[in-house]
Amino acid sequence: MAVAILTDLTRCIGCRACVYACKEINGLPKEEAEGLSARTWTVVERRAGLNVRRQCMHCLDPACASVCPVAALHKTPAGPVVYEEDRCIGCRYCMVACPFHVPKYEWEKPLPRVQKCIFCSEKRLREGGQPACTEVCPAKATVFGDRDALIQEARGRIEAHPGRYVDHIYGLEEAGGTSVLYLSGVPFERLGFPTGLDREPYPRLTWEILSKIPNVVGMGGVLMFGIWWIVNRRMELERRDALREGPAKGVDDGEEGDR
Amino acid sequence: MRRFWPEVTFWRGVAAVTLAVGLYATVVRFGRGLGAATHLSDGFPWGIWVGFDVLVGVGLAAGGFTITATVHLFNLERFRPIVRPTVLTAFLGYLLVAVGLLYDLGRPYRIWHPLIMWNPHSVMFEVAWCVMLYTAVLSLEFSPMVLERFKLRTPLRVVHGITIPVVIAGVLLSTLHQSSLGTLYLIVPEKLHGLWYSPLLPVFFFLSAIAAGLSMVIIESFISSRAFGRRLELGLLRDLSRVVVVALGLYLVVKLQDMSGRGAFGLLAAPTPERFLFLVEMVFGVLIPMVLLALPAVRRDRAGLFCSALLVVLGFIMNRLNVSLTGVQGGMDAVYFPSWLELAVTAMLVTLGFISFGLAVKHLKVFPEGHQEERPVSLGRRPRPVAYLSRGALAALGAVIALGALTLDFEAAARGRVPAQEVTAGSGSDLSVLGGGASVNGSVADLRLPGDLTYPPGKDSPGAVTFSHESHVDGKRPNCATCHGGAFPILKAKAAARTAGEAMHGAQRCGACHDGKAAFGVEDNCEGCHAGG
Repeated sequence: MAVAILTDLTRCIGCRACVYACKEINGLPKEEAEGLSARTWTVVERRAGLNVRRQCMHCLDPACASVCPVAALHKTPAGPVVYEEDRCIGCRYCMVACPFHVPKYEWEKPLPRVQKCIFCSEKRLREGGQPACTEVCPAKATVFGDRDALIQEARGRIEAHPGRYVDHIYGLEEAGGTSVLYLSGVPFERLGFPTGLDREPYPRLTWEILSKIPNVVGMGGVLMFGIWWIVNRRMELERRDALREGPAKGVDDGEEGDR
Repeated sequence: MRRFWPEVTFWRGVAAVTLAVGLYATVVRFGRGLGAATHLSDGFPWGIWVGFDVLVGVGLAAGGFTITATVHLFNLERFRPIVRPTVLTAFLGYLLVAVGLLYDLGRPYRIWHPLIMWNPHSVMFEVAWCVMLYTAVLSLEFSPMVLERFKLRTPLRVVHGITIPVVIAGVLLSTLHQSSLGTLYLIVPEKLHGLWYSPLLPVFFFLSAIAAGLSMVIIESFISSRAFGRRLELGLLRDLSRVVVVALGLYLVVKLQDMSGRGAFGLLAAPTPERFLFLVEMVFGVLIPMVLLALPAVRRDRAGLFCSALLVVLGFIMNRLNVSLTGVQGGMDAVYFPSWLELAVTAMLVTLGFISFGLAVKHLKVFPEGHQEERPVSLGRRPRPVAYLSRGALAALGAVIALGALTLDFEAAARGRVPAQEVTAGSGSDLSVLGGGASVNGSVADLRLPGDLTYPPGKDSPGAVTFSHESHVDGKRPNCATCHGGAFPILKAKAAARTAGEAMHGAQRCGACHDGKAAFGVEDNCEGCHAGG
């Protein structure tokens, strides 16, 4: 089963139970949050008349994990994109690469970590539970479940209340699909969601080039060696001829090469 | 030589100040962290330590692999006199890139992690390996200068014996990572402006690095001849400049084709700061120097040659900064302009490069013997107008870059404010906001409050307390943060229930609201909460 979260923004009442449940289970400081940060992994923002809960999208093929040079971030088979802080070197390429602007950094610390929602992977999912945020939601606005089942549920809601929803499940295809899905009554671009994202997973953009490296090395190596071999051999022959024919007429010295 | 003394002391003074300030910046960076030392933020995670120290540093050191390949693989022996200074420049360049990385990495002591922790899907992983291996290659190519100095014959023979495989490895590694620095940005199609983002970024990075690397060789030769009284290998530099013309031409052609293919010319219609920066970069950094260097009169003129090469290098620097900083500004959440500490570190690294080069020249055989400057190479006719032309272009570029930086700074700042107005930031802490949300979607009916909680009576308690969410939560404006933001954990309701007796009356618990003002006080009305008996 691939787990997912479906957040129905038309149901969110903005009580922020999810925000505080998240802070509690992850031991984050309980302060008023102005958007996502290293100390706030989920947040409820007021946008275009809706309460918008934001968190890591847990992409099916995450850009952050693909760009990490030491594989500190990776997608687990169950669904969460998790972080192993012991590997992280702090290059912050994940922050640059994420199309949803999610990973955040502990800038003020001497030895900082990248921080983001990890789907309560260690603390809840392992033990068969659900994330703290979905568990406490009093309006069932954000729910946990199997991704396919949640997609069915979302489709059902859109069909049953076409006037209430825009006909789009955000995260179904964005960036190749994500494990966090959204329904909304307002077009997503008005909520500050990145729209116009590729339907293909982002890692493909770089992999198309990276996968050609063995060819470059192989063919380039042979080419370079071949050039050296041929040129060297020719020079050797020329030298031998020159020796046989007596003093050379002088190699082009290259000075004043222009005309 | 003596007449240069005052100049030397001036530059030494500048170097000393730069190093001192850089040292202070170093202390701040490692003592107090990236947040205190830089203007980097969650909204803009890569600054000039990546944009300049790494992207520019690596690119300008590209002369290393092109010149060694020319001499050792293509057997163009006459370029041999510039191999050593070029290799030295490249070697120092890569060492400084590594040092710069130590500043930029959040956990610099883990810089070796990519050695054993692999992710072949990461461009950064590939760059890390290539840069590391190529630095090893450069140290091998550089080692004869040191080995000769100490007359270590056997290792010298070994190094000479493996020259060809080492040079080939150097060319391959350079080709890979010079282009891969461009590949880094392929994964940000929405963040990097369309004038720079292209599937061909790796090709552009590679071609521009060749042009700029060779131009850097020209500049470095001029500076060396001035600083160390070396004879200028003008003939060689002229030939190099022709290769620069070809590289720039190729770059321009591929660029134009790519832009027309992507329909990116439309982006030049709107008067954006990006358009301005892009045009400056292309016209002053590519087009003008290409045309200038294609003119024999310019190539023959010292000032013309030097200024044209400088244009290429400055244009290259501008390109890398555009890709890494100004070009992504529109796609980022925060405005970035480097802090003075960031600039100080970068300046210190550049200064260290110059100092190391000087020391190496002093103690090692970097330049071939008998190439002391006798007299400036006199050229019968001096095509002066040409020199003015190239210098004029250079001055114009300088002015335009300065202007551009300002424009962009303001523009970006202005743009940065827009989203803040559009989006009511914050977490909806005020209650009216919460009410508004409920009225829009009318979903409060769906509100599913947790069940009643019963707190067992303490020792002297008048009775058990049953807490009801129903009577405490305003159904129209529910705000869980009122209690769960502080006094009561949201996940550990049962643990909270174990808080016994009068402790519950405290200001951290029920007393937080039941203080006689916000709600009836805990000491006022026992029966209000405690069930009788």
